Amino acid sequence: MSIADTLGSALGLGSLGPLEDFLLSLVGAAFVGTFVLLNTAVAGPWAKRKITAAFTDRVAVNRVGPFGLLIIIADAVRMLSKELIIPDGADRPAFDLAPLVLVASALLGFAVVPMGNGIQLADPEVGLAFLFAVASIASIALVMAGYASNNKYSMLGGLRAVAQNVAYEIPLVVTAMSVVLFTGTLQTSQIVGAQAETLITIAGVSIPSWYAFVNPFAFVLFIVANMAEVGRNPFDVPEAPTEIVAGYQTEYSSVYFVLMYLGEFIHIFLGGAILATVFLGGPAGPVLPGFVWFTIKIWAFFLFTQWARSALPRVRIDQLIEIGWKGLLELSFVNLLLTAIIVGVIV
Amino acid sequence: MSLEAPEPSTHTDVGVTETGLDYDVLESLLGELVIDRETHHNAEAFVVRPDRVADALSVLREEAGFDHCSCVTAQQYEDRYESIYHLKKYDDPTQEVGVVVPTSIHEPKSQSGSGVYRTADWHEREAYDLVGIEYDDHPDLRRILLPETWQGHPLSQNYDQERQQVVPLTEHANPLEEDHRGGTDTMFINIGPHHPATHGVLHLKTTLNGEQVADVESDIGYLHRCEEQICQQGTYRHQIMPYPDRWDYISAGLLNEWAYARAAEDLADIDVPEYAQIIRTMSAELCRIASHLLALGTFAIDVYGDFSAIFMYAFRDREVVQNILEDLTGQRMMFNYFRLGGVAWDLPEPREKFFEKTRDFLDELPTRLEEYHNLVSGNEVLQLRCVDTGILEPEVAKQYGCTGPVARGSGVDYDLRRDDPYGYYDRLDWDVVTEDGCDNYSRVLVRLREVEESAKIIDQCVNLLEEWPEDDRTIQSNVPRTLKPDPDTEIYRAVEGAKGELGIYIRSDGTDTPARFKIRSPCFSNLQALPEMAEGEYVPDLVAALGSLDIVLGEVDR
Repeated sequence: MSIADTLGSALGLGSLGPLEDFLLSLVGAAFVGTFVLLNTAVAGPWAKRKITAAFTDRVAVNRVGPFGLLIIIADAVRMLSKELIIPDGADRPAFDLAPLVLVASALLGFAVVPMGNGIQLADPEVGLAFLFAVASIASIALVMAGYASNNKYSMLGGLRAVAQNVAYEIPLVVTAMSVVLFTGTLQTSQIVGAQAETLITIAGVSIPSWYAFVNPFAFVLFIVANMAEVGRNPFDVPEAPTEIVAGYQTEYSSVYFVLMYLGEFIHIFLGGAILATVFLGGPAGPVLPGFVWFTIKIWAFFLFTQWARSALPRVRIDQLIEIGWKGLLELSFVNLLLTAIIVGVIV
Repeated sequence: MSLEAPEPSTHTDVGVTETGLDYDVLESLLGELVIDRETHHNAEAFVVRPDRVADALSVLREEAGFDHCSCVTAQQYEDRYESIYHLKKYDDPTQEVGVVVPTSIHEPKSQSGSGVYRTADWHEREAYDLVGIEYDDHPDLRRILLPETWQGHPLSQNYDQERQQVVPLTEHANPLEEDHRGGTDTMFINIGPHHPATHGVLHLKTTLNGEQVADVESDIGYLHRCEEQICQQGTYRHQIMPYPDRWDYISAGLLNEWAYARAAEDLADIDVPEYAQIIRTMSAELCRIASHLLALGTFAIDVYGDFSAIFMYAFRDREVVQNILEDLTGQRMMFNYFRLGGVAWDLPEPREKFFEKTRDFLDELPTRLEEYHNLVSGNEVLQLRCVDTGILEPEVAKQYGCTGPVARGSGVDYDLRRDDPYGYYDRLDWDVVTEDGCDNYSRVLVRLREVEESAKIIDQCVNLLEEWPEDDRTIQSNVPRTLKPDPDTEIYRAVEGAKGELGIYIRSDGTDTPARFKIRSPCFSNLQALPEMAEGEYVPDLVAALGSLDIVLGEVDR
């Protein structure tokens, strides 16, 4: 059931004609986009400050408004009113497009994520493949940004980003494939649906067959690869401020910087959304409505990345590549093979 | 730039007697190289001809075991220029000797000692820059602290301060241009002077081969504030003491003050009451803890990224030290607490409260250190990053005159607090920490463990101070209001600062201000070894190596 159907039934419309379907889909898209941006652009930066401060024994913003909440508005005004500086020799179309591509690629991913309560913009049969495909467009944006900036630090950052994404994209997808072996479909709604069954009942509490419980090994692999995919500690080498200043985004200022920053935030949340969909039963959860559970799950992943950021050193670029190609890749294939055998024998 | 092959010297005890060095034996070893002898306060000095410097230094290094060129001082007299090489032994720094090289006032040319001691390279560049002595056979005789285009040598006597430092546009041609056009296999990149990782205004001219460092050259001097010249204009008694706080300005102020206090007190023969020595020892170790915590925190930022919790934890604990020091001295960073012959005032009243606060800190410290060990030294990702990177072999470290935690992290057992005792250290129970790893990890570990040792020292000092009889609390000895040391006396004295051997050379001309005031900064020498540690490593390890050196640009540039 797509969001257009949900809206249609909420409005008491029967079967939808093509025009109605289109219009309602537009409304749904606006809703999903607003929801994602509310989380990432409005709540995200403020929450990040508070979370990081809590980890590092500080207080963080507390002067502007209750809990410093109004800092969100102050930040927005500040960031948007800054001068946009574009370096001489920047490769113009690419330099301008990179932030847009970054944000768009991450936002597109949310189109196929089931958010519970019938909120899912589209539910194609190749949903999971689509999700990974659009998410990895981000690496193109990073290379564009790094190359077009005409800055050596940006260049290094862009190269690091692409090396990292190539190395971790494969284990990520292969690990997700091991889940597909269970479900037998790429359709995200069905992947979520398959996790609704009860795995085991202990003392009256039934544990759902979330793939995090069914295959914890794959779950851990996926989290590691996902951390690298969204570029957070210990895998934040593409921007590594103390090494290459800010990596690919060194030369971005003002609105462009906002977009780059936003793009990264949306990617973290998209990473959380993929994780929730594939391994944590999507919007499933007791008592609260599915939509709320979904939100909690993506925030939990965000919290996890911030924790890692406060506590873990970043690895070196060569070590990062080594872990990716020599460690994760092998493990993910072993996982796929074992899962295939288990699924083939048991099911 | 190849290093001299370090030959194991078998004659390190030439001239060593039970009562100290027999300089006559050394003189006969040097033979006809010696043309005269001078007596400095700290050691005898041999005068050698300007064209035989390398020979003389090489004999002293290879045959008499003086493996530590602590400092090179240059100065101008009415009738001559003079370079002084202060030599020591890493095994026993109380065995010192000076090599004095006079050069003609008209043509100040002297042979370079950088072929014998690599550390002389930068020291001689500084001498050339500020005083104007030219060193033959020097591999790279350029200005080091001042801009390339500077006119004149500011510490020479005929320097015209009124002269405008105007340079034509041609002189301002981009000095890096050739690097941009250079080979296609490597990439030239400027790390700093504004960069998140340089801990101040340090400029690293780096050549990268892919992500690996092919060559790195430190460009210093952005924070040069003429500290030596300022001290030469100040009176011994009062006007110099505020400035040491500003060399290594990151919470190591009292250690720096002690360097000046020790040199001036030995020069003018001033006694320090025992009670004041204990206060000095305690407060200096508090400074060392603060400084090491900061070093740990900034190193964590370099390796972890700028959202690291360790940095804030280190600041949290450093804050407690700062509060204690504020209670004691009235200031948090620029203490100005030591005086020649003692300290400015006694412990704050009520004393019990001060002791309690200090003890609380010491009691809390082991838990905190355990937390750091969990987060830092016990962290496998950190070990992956820092073990076996930024290698500094002990022989190389000695060649570069490295001291402090940097040398001790390479297994060089050298700590002036124990080897050349001053203050109250020789009567307390503590250990010198060394690690044999020679890598970034060892240098950090040494600092962490030194914090424990400092805490031991403070604890003993607090006990002593608490039981000290009330009628014997002399905080300053009698020092003449206007201090005028005997004319033509010279001294080089060093203390163990937070970063290593912080030495002061003073020459008195009989007035109440020094005729020459030279600062031997540990960071200056340690930073010189950076290329040895970084070449062939990846950029992140260059940054980590720089962080593990724990330099403060205020002290490098002075």
